[in-house]
Amino acid sequence: MSGGPERLDSAVIATAYQKEWFVRTAAAARGGEPLALANADAPHEILRALGIPYVVNQWWSSIISAKRTAAPSLAAVAALGLPDDSRQYDVLPLGAQLLPPEEAPWGGLPEPRFAIAERGGDVTHKIFEQWGRRPGTETFLLSRTGAVPAPVDWWEIVADDWESVFGAERIDLLRDEIAELATWLSERTGRPLDMAVLADILDLANEQAEWNARTRALLAQARPLPVPVTDVIPAVMIPQWHRGTRWAVDAAKRLHDEVAARIDAGAAVHSGERRRLMWIGRGLWSDLEMYRSFQEEFDAVFVWSMYLAIAADGYLRRGPDPLRTLAARFVGLTDLLYVPPMSSSWYAKEALAHGVDGVVHLVADDTPGSALITAALEERGVPVLEIRASNADPRATGGVRERIATFLRDRVPAS
Amino acid sequence: MTSDVAPVIGVVGNDVPRQIVLAAGARPHRLTGLWDAPADPQWVDLLGGTDPVAATIAEELAATPLDGLLVSNDSQAHLRLFYVLRATGPAVPVHLVDLPRRDSPGARRFLRHQFAALAGFCAEITGRAVDRESLAAAAAAEAALGGELDRLRERRRAEPPTCSGTDALRALLTAMRASPGEAIEAVRAAGRATDGTAGRRIHVTGSNHPDPRAYAALEAAGLVVVSEDHDTGDGAWLGVSATGASVDEVFERLIDAHFARIPAAATGLGSDRARTTRKLATDAGADVVVALIRDLDEAPLWDVADQREALADAGVQLHVEDHIRPGEVAARAAGAAVAVGADVARSEMTP
Repeated sequence: MSGGPERLDSAVIATAYQKEWFVRTAAAARGGEPLALANADAPHEILRALGIPYVVNQWWSSIISAKRTAAPSLAAVAALGLPDDSRQYDVLPLGAQLLPPEEAPWGGLPEPRFAIAERGGDVTHKIFEQWGRRPGTETFLLSRTGAVPAPVDWWEIVADDWESVFGAERIDLLRDEIAELATWLSERTGRPLDMAVLADILDLANEQAEWNARTRALLAQARPLPVPVTDVIPAVMIPQWHRGTRWAVDAAKRLHDEVAARIDAGAAVHSGERRRLMWIGRGLWSDLEMYRSFQEEFDAVFVWSMYLAIAADGYLRRGPDPLRTLAARFVGLTDLLYVPPMSSSWYAKEALAHGVDGVVHLVADDTPGSALITAALEERGVPVLEIRASNADPRATGGVRERIATFLRDRVPAS
Repeated sequence: MTSDVAPVIGVVGNDVPRQIVLAAGARPHRLTGLWDAPADPQWVDLLGGTDPVAATIAEELAATPLDGLLVSNDSQAHLRLFYVLRATGPAVPVHLVDLPRRDSPGARRFLRHQFAALAGFCAEITGRAVDRESLAAAAAAEAALGGELDRLRERRRAEPPTCSGTDALRALLTAMRASPGEAIEAVRAAGRATDGTAGRRIHVTGSNHPDPRAYAALEAAGLVVVSEDHDTGDGAWLGVSATGASVDEVFERLIDAHFARIPAAATGLGSDRARTTRKLATDAGADVVVALIRDLDEAPLWDVADQREALADAGVQLHVEDHIRPGEVAARAAGAAVAVGADVARSEMTP
């Protein structure tokens, strides 16, 4: 890391907390407490309000990848007669569930009582249908409507004027389905939904989003980059999965304060920073070292990932009706990242705000509109390298470092 | 507007109730693309990793005179096509038709909004509002087509079939682009020249069929396609109509019809798909089910395991050809025919 700063305490603390939380939660689940597996875009706050711990499918997938158990997990999926070359990021946890506990990360995920997802794309509902066939697990599926309308500059208004960003009818539908989900969960756990509790959870989630926005603003202005993006990701995302708790708010504030202190101290991830890079797409969990591997030869530093930025811009929602406000958080969250012109205008805004010199754009099969995102950046003079691969499939990400090196050499001049 | 008598509104996907489009005074024209056409690399790039037929639909769109376009949110490929068209400035007005899959009061309310918005979009193009009378007239026309489609199914399922799968698919694709009267003629004519077709009876599942190329290859090799469960064949929302005393009541009955449709690969659960495949295949007396699945058309791949199990219980063989790339379908279909033991010598079809 070219003598750069040590790991962020925020990342170390969050990572340790998550491991401890998982062990504690897994033990409780094995003791009979209900556990939910929820997709990243499901309304987690309902589970929190009902006191049902949840593991996020994509987070667990990232752990499976990071622990190098993606390949046997995909092999287990194939052994079921299911495709192992489709939606790998979403399906890894299903495959890992079939591994012997001693081979699964952290002793494996206890069988969830509930599996909850939205019907995004052509396959998510089928993956979660598979979960619902496992002994003791029931599945609940929410609708996923198309992104109509799709305003540019949504980040300016989404916190309060979410009706105009997403459309009232779409929000109404999801609101009703979230209410159904709450009833479905209550019937099975005997725990009623307390709207006051849910409102408090939403307030905490908003507080967390506001800290993330302040942190993002600091990092956009800082030159050179004071903290590694590989630390920022867990320091943001682990609290994201604990969204709506005081611990998560404190974690977001801790990250902010630590970033501010590093900037004040003149810290630099790489003191010779001459190329600032943006990573668009999901994280390359199986090769996090990759993010730091261009510093020595190219003075190139990854300064941006979507995880902090969407945490800053995408989650804040204010409103008087907790269920409807929660629906407004999730009805189009993924669309903000992937549907043009919402996505393309946002990435361009972020690239310019962070002074980015080049973009590496990891395009998965399930992420639409990538070419328009690339075009929006190129039109603004930001060169883009598109890599088409699943971040969760180690078979598909070979050669990434070499391609990025060539891109830096050929298209990203040092500033 | 185009020079056609009635304004023509393009349709992508299978979620558009033709009755509403017809009631607005327009002719729905479904764009299905092609199995093998060389897709424009720019469209392939814009749409990303998805069913490559979507790129050929984009090309067909550019070559078809239309007054408006309706795109169904019935697959990731179609939704992406809508997003790209909207973002790149389409030549004609474009509207997304978005129908939830699980019946609930909230979903029905959303569907009422969707059908009202669809009627409004079409009326904006044609200048003719959708009302009770126009819906009734459109219902009568679609019901007549529905009757012809029932008779076509009977001909295909006869022993031996009196209409080949290729002729039937060609007629269905024609009907999806035609006025009700022309559609009835096309469907009525299908198989008229055929005394009977011999060959091993198969049911086709997997990806939809934007053109009859695969069916022709299967039937040239000695099979006969007696049924299918994809959305350009028997699964097409074609010939379906609803009546009622008010516009709202008609929309409500169309919502009933939507929830009663056979599940499509991209929107249905694997268990529902498997039950449907088994029922349709056995009802049609199919000996074998052949799944033809395009590369990057992910959903049908996820149905295969359930279909295999359900069909095995019924004693029906399943043969799968997957990851079919553009340019491969005829050869892969012929290969499937060999694999399932087609008796070429018994074939009397001329697809």
